[in-house]
Amino acid sequence: MTTVVQAGVKATDPLRPEPAKVIEVIAETANIKTFHIAFDEPSLMEAFTFLPGQIGQLGILGAGESTFAISSAPSGRDGIEFSVMKTGVVTSAIHELRAGDPVAVRAPLGCAFPTDDWRGKNIVLVGGGIGMAPLRSLLFYLLDNRGDYGDLTLVYGARTPEDLCYADNRRDWEERPDLDFTATIDTVCSTWDGCVGLVPSVVEEKAPSPDNSVAVTCGPPIMIRYALESLEKMGFREEQVYTTLERRMKCGIGLCGRCNLGPKYVCTDGPVFSLTELRALPNGL
Amino acid sequence: MKFLAGENIPELLEKLSLLSEVWAPRELRGSGGTVMFERWRSGDPLDLEHFASLSAKDMVLPRTEKLFGFSYAFGGAAVGNPFGAPAESAGGIPATAGESIRITAAEPAGNVVLFGARACDAKALTVLDALFDQTDGKGYNDPQYRARRAGLTVITLACVTSDPACFCSSFENGTAEKAGSDLILYPVDGGFLAEAVTPKGETVIESGVNSRNKVGSARGPGDSDPETGEAASGLTLFEESALETPVLAVTAKVEGLEGLRQKLAAIFDDLEFWQAETEKCISCGYCTYACPTCHCFNIHDEMRGDREGVRLRSWDACMFHLYTQETSGHNPRPTLAHRYRNRINHKFSYYPENQGEILCTGCGRCIRGCPVGLDIRDVLRQAVECSASPGEGGDR
Repeated sequence: MTTVVQAGVKATDPLRPEPAKVIEVIAETANIKTFHIAFDEPSLMEAFTFLPGQIGQLGILGAGESTFAISSAPSGRDGIEFSVMKTGVVTSAIHELRAGDPVAVRAPLGCAFPTDDWRGKNIVLVGGGIGMAPLRSLLFYLLDNRGDYGDLTLVYGARTPEDLCYADNRRDWEERPDLDFTATIDTVCSTWDGCVGLVPSVVEEKAPSPDNSVAVTCGPPIMIRYALESLEKMGFREEQVYTTLERRMKCGIGLCGRCNLGPKYVCTDGPVFSLTELRALPNGL
Repeated sequence: MKFLAGENIPELLEKLSLLSEVWAPRELRGSGGTVMFERWRSGDPLDLEHFASLSAKDMVLPRTEKLFGFSYAFGGAAVGNPFGAPAESAGGIPATAGESIRITAAEPAGNVVLFGARACDAKALTVLDALFDQTDGKGYNDPQYRARRAGLTVITLACVTSDPACFCSSFENGTAEKAGSDLILYPVDGGFLAEAVTPKGETVIESGVNSRNKVGSARGPGDSDPETGEAASGLTLFEESALETPVLAVTAKVEGLEGLRQKLAAIFDDLEFWQAETEKCISCGYCTYACPTCHCFNIHDEMRGDREGVRLRSWDACMFHLYTQETSGHNPRPTLAHRYRNRINHKFSYYPENQGEILCTGCGRCIRGCPVGLDIRDVLRQAVECSASPGEGGDR
């Protein structure tokens, strides 16, 4: 809600997508793939900008479109990435895509993380499962602008080692001296010699200081619930905590009416909300 | 004001239909009294007495509308049949990289004259404009809505009688509301007094001037009387008149609606209240379809064969379980009580907060057509009462 709504790629006709192509498909887990796509029109690709936290509609004409977080780096100039979990009709069709296949994209939509306001602060990222997608984009942004921010902490968890996304990125993140990264899985597993434990408890063990800090959590609703409890226990106040929400969406531009929490629409007022904003909404959290 | 004789209405519509589609209320044949806004063609009967069952929102938000067409350039494939068999087997054509998409815009909407709308129908259009045609640059504009709206002329029939379900007098101007109307016709003896509210309304009056070319007359449309230099009387459908406008109907008023947003907020968490109010609701969605301001929509694709298709938008209804159902099975509004609470809050709290307009004009269609007799006025009264004594439950 902090950043104004950015004009979509088609500000004059926001329901009309832009033709694009799949450049690369990366299988992250058994049911999650990351799709690197680029617009057919090179000038559009050159002019395309977004900020971490923003979303897009990725679709196949004939099968439909769905809303996903943009998971790539805002600095990336050769395309954008969506990480998609295979769940329903549209995501199953998307999972059939291969490099070179045509897709239709409406992006960027929604509001970004208020990264400008966070300059000079320590940032704690708390991610679970596919919820890492928007945090990945945010982390790329923070690392690209590393000097603007204080300590960076990332706790990322999944049920099993096989459910952790972004293996290549994780190797980089582990090696970086300017990032405190912990990957964790829910229960002990013979193929895993890293941290074991639920994400909220691992965050509590790491105990990053709430002083001059911002925490961002994204993941399954149950994880978010306990992560928020942990953060508050650690002394983070509502206004220091951010999350992103998901709802069923169709239009993505605040017209079709289904993704609202009270008077706020996840597609245009969100998906990024501070805990202060959420708690002020009826049925927010 | 100008006077339009009742017998001249077909001729006026005839004139208007030369340049626009004309839609007007008429009884559906064999329906036993159901009146609907229908495309008017020469010779069609009109029903200006009864209230149309469904609203006229199709004029700006058709129940199903093409957003755009699309086609795949060559090859079969990747998307040959998105729902079915693997791409390789679609028509025997192997999946081919490098296909491209072509998107073709929907055909532009033509001009439409809506004849015989009521004040509540016309007002509803300005209520929808606040969302779909935002001029403040904050929101997104909807090009297809705007095109339809720009091409729409609304001729409103002022209400001198009302129906027991009407409750427009609960809102600011009631039957005297002029917003959204281009021309208002007030029923008087033998015809109607016409008041142009906008330039579009003036145009309608002008289109009636010199319109009647009697058989044998050498004059064409627009010609004036060669001797007086004035439009010959008798050749205009709209004559000057000193008649007084009639007394308009006063409809039912729901009391206590001031500060409704706060009152609804006070009972938001009282789910028992919403359960009690929706006990008899069967989630049929009639209220949303009949409503002149309900505008929620769905977007879906339809294929014609393997190579091309259309993306459509169609009316949806917030009272349906699937409306917010997510693929995971999670539903943020899982019960009727949640959905109806959102419906009422959207109309009387959220939309006023975001768009500055109440998302209801008191037309009463949701009351007249509800198969189980759920009356939104009762719900509002109960909400007002219950908010005064939260926790005690009021008269449920």
